[in-house]
Amino acid sequence: MNKEIIKFSFLFIVILLAQVLICNHIAIFNVAVPIIFIYFIIRLPISLGKGILFTLAFTMGLCVDIFADTLGVNALACTLLAAMKRPVFYAYIPKDDKTKYLTPSLSSLGVGIYCKYLITMVGLYCLMAFTIEYFNFAEVKEIVILAASSCLLTFVMLLAIDSLIIKKS
Amino acid sequence: MQGAAFTRKQVRNLLNFIIRYGTWFLFVFYVLLSFVLLFSHNSYHHSVYLSSANMVVSSINGTASEITGYFHLRSINESLQASNAMLENEVLNLRHQIAEYQTKLSDTAENKNYDERFDYISATVINNSVRHPRNYFSINRGEADGVKRGMGVVDQNGITGIINVTGAHTSRVISLLNETQHFSVKIKGTEYIGSLSWKGGDPRIAYVEEVPRHAKFHAGDTIVTSGFSTTFPPEIPVGIVMNRVKGTDDNFFVLKIRLTSDFRALSTVRVIKDEYKPEIDSLKNFDYKPGK
Repeated sequence: MNKEIIKFSFLFIVILLAQVLICNHIAIFNVAVPIIFIYFIIRLPISLGKGILFTLAFTMGLCVDIFADTLGVNALACTLLAAMKRPVFYAYIPKDDKTKYLTPSLSSLGVGIYCKYLITMVGLYCLMAFTIEYFNFAEVKEIVILAASSCLLTFVMLLAIDSLIIKKS
Repeated sequence: MQGAAFTRKQVRNLLNFIIRYGTWFLFVFYVLLSFVLLFSHNSYHHSVYLSSANMVVSSINGTASEITGYFHLRSINESLQASNAMLENEVLNLRHQIAEYQTKLSDTAENKNYDERFDYISATVINNSVRHPRNYFSINRGEADGVKRGMGVVDQNGITGIINVTGAHTSRVISLLNETQHFSVKIKGTEYIGSLSWKGGDPRIAYVEEVPRHAKFHAGDTIVTSGFSTTFPPEIPVGIVMNRVKGTDDNFFVLKIRLTSDFRALSTVRVIKDEYKPEIDSLKNFDYKPGK
């Protein structure tokens, strides 16, 4: 358990810094933005208490917001994503004793289910974050373009991070 | 009995309810807190701790910008050379003019030393964004260096923003690329005033609204600051007119302009300090109020 805590604390800091120092400054074709910090929320164990999950998600979002001066946008989207984590997870996998203590990862879920879970989470997040940020239904077209392209880019980057982690361990 | 205490059972039920749904109370609390942050963010006043001008964020950004600061040096150098050449030309022209006037009108054109109205504080951009609808950037100068809220910020190519939050040694600037911020501008060489605003999307394109219908302009005309505020001196370049676009009001033109500053490669900027600001602000106290 302690090992897990250290691992996730390390992940929190590294992924936060990677997001605010590198990824926040990338915008491919001025639309596709990599939003890699949600990897932390996606990878947290399913058995983790809801209270801790919401707190960690909110804190992560707030930290990114402070760096990017988008106060509230990511904090809100992260909290909502944390609430959707379990329903999304169990939409692809049966709810039983075996899956109760899983930590979502490429190796624990298998490529197919993990990819489905990952793209759903990333897609939901991108849609929520850009809707909250623009907060204007006149710009639905922009929001959809931004969300779809960012979702795709983020998905590819997160898979790349996953494959790096697998190689290491 | 008025104000009677709850029975033990009721209290126990209430506690059970809170414990059972406690995490969802926490969820609602975080969501509400996010909304408060979201909506307070648009107001002018907010704390320095929740902005990128705070100590921790600015020291991390400062370290990172020391590394990434080298990336755009080539293009920045080119634009500096161009602006330097233009200024040198202007100095030569003015010297020539002064010399001419001094020979023609030796008694009236003395070498007067005018008070400098505008002072500049040089600063480095340590964090910048161009992809949000409301963009901000941070600079490494703060209150200790004389930076105050509301001061204008320019780079070698034109205006870039207005100081919004100040820390001790860092400040956050509302970028020109911020939908909520408008600037008073005019078409260079004329007195036609308009309001500059950015509408999201491309960081090179902005719009000048409320240009009077009778204004004359050509594609390629320069848009400059109007100088009607204490934020920017007059005649600082802003952009180049591209074309006219359809606006919502038939009485006014909307001009699409190409911004002169490259916001994706901001590096060194200057904060403008107006020595007349206290004087001009104090004039507001002499408002004539009819009927009083």
